[in-house]
Amino acid sequence: MQNSIFSTLFSMRFLITAIRLATPIVFAAIGTFIAASSGIGNIAIESIMTFAALAGVLGSYLSGSAWVGVLTGIAIGIVTVMLIAFFSMKMGANAMLIMIALNTFADSVAIFVMFLMTGEKGTTASLTTPILSTLDIPIIKDIPILGEIVSGQYVLTYICWLIVILLFIFIYKTPTGMRMRACGLNADAARTAGINVERLQVLSLILSGIFAALGGVYLSLNYLKIFSRGMVSGQGWMGVAANGIAAGNYWLLILAALIFAVFRAVSISFSSNSAFPTDLVNAIPYFAVFVILTVVSIVNYYRVKRGKVEEH
Amino acid sequence: MSETILKLDNVTKVYPNGTVANRDINMEFEKGEIHSIVGENGAGKSTLMKVIFGIERPSSGSVTYKGEETNFSSSMDAIKAGIGMVHQHFMLIPSFSIVDNIILGDEPTSGIFIDKKEAARRCQELSDKYNFELDVNAKVSTLSVAKRQKVEILKTLYRNAELIILDEPTSVLTPQETDKLFDQLRSFKEQGHTILFISHKLEEVKKISDKISVIRNGVSKGTYLNEDLSMQQLTNLIIGRDLDSDMNAYKTHEDFHNEKALVIKDLYMERNGKPVLDHMSFAVKNGEILGIAGVEGNGQQELVRCITGLEETAYTGDIEICGNRVNELNIKGRRDLGMAYIPEDRMGDGIAGSLPISDNLISTYYDRDDINNKVFMNSKAIKETAENLVKTFAVKTKTIDAAVNSLSGGNIQKVVVAREYNTNSKFMIAEQPTHGIDIGSEEFVHHKLIEMRNAGAGILLVSANLNEVMSLSDRIIVMFDGQIAGYFPNAKDVSESELGMYMLGAKHQTPQEIGGALND
Repeated sequence: MQNSIFSTLFSMRFLITAIRLATPIVFAAIGTFIAASSGIGNIAIESIMTFAALAGVLGSYLSGSAWVGVLTGIAIGIVTVMLIAFFSMKMGANAMLIMIALNTFADSVAIFVMFLMTGEKGTTASLTTPILSTLDIPIIKDIPILGEIVSGQYVLTYICWLIVILLFIFIYKTPTGMRMRACGLNADAARTAGINVERLQVLSLILSGIFAALGGVYLSLNYLKIFSRGMVSGQGWMGVAANGIAAGNYWLLILAALIFAVFRAVSISFSSNSAFPTDLVNAIPYFAVFVILTVVSIVNYYRVKRGKVEEH
Repeated sequence: MSETILKLDNVTKVYPNGTVANRDINMEFEKGEIHSIVGENGAGKSTLMKVIFGIERPSSGSVTYKGEETNFSSSMDAIKAGIGMVHQHFMLIPSFSIVDNIILGDEPTSGIFIDKKEAARRCQELSDKYNFELDVNAKVSTLSVAKRQKVEILKTLYRNAELIILDEPTSVLTPQETDKLFDQLRSFKEQGHTILFISHKLEEVKKISDKISVIRNGVSKGTYLNEDLSMQQLTNLIIGRDLDSDMNAYKTHEDFHNEKALVIKDLYMERNGKPVLDHMSFAVKNGEILGIAGVEGNGQQELVRCITGLEETAYTGDIEICGNRVNELNIKGRRDLGMAYIPEDRMGDGIAGSLPISDNLISTYYDRDDINNKVFMNSKAIKETAENLVKTFAVKTKTIDAAVNSLSGGNIQKVVVAREYNTNSKFMIAEQPTHGIDIGSEEFVHHKLIEMRNAGAGILLVSANLNEVMSLSDRIIVMFDGQIAGYFPNAKDVSESELGMYMLGAKHQTPQEIGGALND
């Protein structure tokens, strides 16, 4: 049995699974990161993913095009963050409370809407929905090993990694990106330099909503091909956790998201093995988040104690 | 010369809550002059600057810049018009490089990217042109306060400011650094820049200004040529009465038998692998004020945090308060031994802003028997205590139930000092006790500190204001780079420039001389 576990963990399949599982977590992580870089803690990622996952399926079903589904999901993501921006920035409500409220009722609202549309409360399996496919990359797909990993992934996975690179360039190389970071690091300094802080924060929130929505539609239109209740199951929170670990370091953020994905892959590989209790195996990725966050906090605590912390 | 660059006509600013901050202010600023604006806290200087810089709009009256009436809707418009402002609290991002801080909001680009090379070239050119001696690629977090200020000034020059407003620029500088800043301001003046200089420190105002405008209670008390105005006249214009300047006159000389309120032995602490407190030893006797002078950031804050128990970083050495070793005690434990503390960060550490004045006046001794009936607070006793303190300390308020943050800075500080005074402690740490408050309140706080000293308390005074250290202290320590650089057993015998040499590290005493700080 042990042999079989190791052979699973070090197989090509496992690696491919991990890459597939990484996509929504990376989307969630960059969504949190971009909002945080302008000084906004967006903890509504989980709910935006849920809304967008359902909206994606419905948009795809109603229009007959998976890409329209993706756009519907993005639109819902933008609407959600604009609601947050409206209530917190315009009406003066506490942004954290708004986001907690969104997270609390996201699942129920999704199920309610699903019931209205399909008459079912579990999944949208009864709808015939056009979905996105995988992509074979010519030439690369024929290279052994590399071809197997790089080629044949889901379309949105490629888009995800493209965005990861473009976002890095945006945040660190362009004037708008630099101004956004300035808002997050010292809003008063940004303001006195003549920067419209609120406008940039809204922009970063919109980007955040788009990325989270892409994570959601990836789950429902690319990975699972249906919407089912509870399908986001903490992947948005893993993105938020990755952002916490990264502490402003972009590539550490991506690494943290990948590590969480690997633990999800472990959990899935083990759950096919009946020797372990399923509930325990399902808990592995969440337990990993817990352990990693704890370790990072302890390390940071001692860095502060030893006085090795820099001013931001 | 004598070309008017900025003109204020009957500028009145009434805030929505009815406060009249400026009333019918008329002032004229000429191109190429250094023009100081002086006045007490809450006199309306900052509001006036905000009006000029486009942060606030005047309720009535007009501001004319270069012959055109301005209608700024934000500071962006003021910046575009050629007005720059160096804020008292620096508006910098420590984790950014100097270049990034300077170009922020006005970045040179090539395509969609920031042109970092061009940016660095322009900034370095600017720094060299004005002899700022900065490496523009350095991170701001690695810079001293004086250098950070240069970055702030460069920011305004980068945006081609012709009129530069400096808000309390010398409050964080040593005398030598201040002299250097003044040289630079004079060279700006020669190049045609107009400088608007705001300061509390009248000696400096006298030193640098061509003209001086005085504001009192929101009303302009006129603009004078510097040479036409004596120090005494200036003081009278600002507060409308004479000030005591010789604090020594209030000191009595009783012997408290060399009891020590505080003893520090071999205190050592590191940050980023560098010592920030480097084997410091000294003592504060009962019935004396020991002043610590030094440029900000030379370990004073860490020292105070170690003594009060706020510091979380590990340190070695002994700290004794009123004869008890307190290293292992928390803040409350140290206070119970007789420590009182006036913190530097008044708004953050000194008060609970939204709570009433009365609660803030007892918050550090809420568990004392006279205001606490074991289970419930004795609200009658609290009211009595608070009302007494408000009266003795002349806190300007209608009621003790008002939220403490509705008071002006000077009055908030009086609340903090009143509370700490009322602990009847034998040891007091006064950290920047008059930072940013008006001279009337400052004088009051000074008198109270001396009163405590005369009653036998040992007071550790940490201040960036050299005048304050020199006029209040019995003995003086200068801190440089986490060490005691100089020790002066008799505060009256030392000059400002002498202290400045030690503050900048140009001079350093021998261990024998410094040893007196502990043993005298």
